Amino acid sequence: MANELLKGKKGIIFGALDEQSIAWKIAQKALEEGGDFVLTNAPVVKRFGSLEKLAESIDKPIIYADATNLEELENLISESQELMGGKLDFVLHAIGMSVNVRKKKEYTDLNHDWMQKTFDVSAISFHKLMQTLYQKDAMNEWGSIVALSYIAAQRVFPDYSEMAESKALLESFARSFGYHFAAKNVRVNTISQSPTMTTAGSGIKGFQEFFDYAEKMSPLGNASAESCADFTIAMFSDLTRMVTMQNLFHDGGFSSMGMNPAVIGL
Amino acid sequence: MSEIADKVQKIIVDKLGVDESEVTPEASFTNDLGADSLDTVELIMEFEKEFDVSIPDEQAEQIQTVGQAVEYLESQQ
Repeated sequence: MANELLKGKKGIIFGALDEQSIAWKIAQKALEEGGDFVLTNAPVVKRFGSLEKLAESIDKPIIYADATNLEELENLISESQELMGGKLDFVLHAIGMSVNVRKKKEYTDLNHDWMQKTFDVSAISFHKLMQTLYQKDAMNEWGSIVALSYIAAQRVFPDYSEMAESKALLESFARSFGYHFAAKNVRVNTISQSPTMTTAGSGIKGFQEFFDYAEKMSPLGNASAESCADFTIAMFSDLTRMVTMQNLFHDGGFSSMGMNPAVIGL
Repeated sequence: MSEIADKVQKIIVDKLGVDESEVTPEASFTNDLGADSLDTVELIMEFEKEFDVSIPDEQAEQIQTVGQAVEYLESQQ
């Protein structure tokens, strides 16, 4: 289904870890649609997941960077522009990590140092990324910046824990920075995706049961990682130029449902 | 306790949020100290940084306990 939607466009894709990663699906689609890009993730990923193998399979470079570190973000953006020869048209932020979730801490007994780290990695990194792009004037006109979010930013999903607040912060940064980036005709949005079977997702307690519930609650079923990639490419393309400062639900209708008879008896 | 063992203990306490008294030579990172797969990789990388060594993957896989980490790092000095 290639339509050359990203022909001539250059980007940076954060957050691919392995074949299940939504960011990896987006990278594959971006390639199909004619986009050029650099893959990036935290240095720890050198020894975790399979990014090197994936990057090699599509012949794209990896530049490792800690997204919480401004200096490393600056280097990443400068090096990417040098490698691809010009400003950027699309940037994907698909970064989320909570130590409290990984350590299975109850929401009523969270470690607040870890919480700070969660916010820093999962949300403040998005502001740092956008601020660096903004100050370096690294985005082309009509460029598009997208971060991946989740509906726990608006509603309570107890096992999502402090990631709920992280996503609320992330979405708020998209709105606020979207205002400033509009002066450069650059758009900023978040995509609120269905629960997805990834390394990050499956770290959440009771994920499989919840995935099945959401599948039944959503009239179209859960949106897959592949369909999220399709939507993200549309958001990177020139066909969505007037969409900015939005949190866009990509969830098979889940967010508009109150009750679905399909879930009764689950 | 050697200087290396001391530093290793400090890194583990800091990284895993466990109590000093739990960090015994026999303690397993995953079974006793609650480390997940990402923690173990981060610990190895922290050891590499702190002790200025490079730990190959096959060696890293052998390091399962606090004592094994200390032993390996002492052998590299």
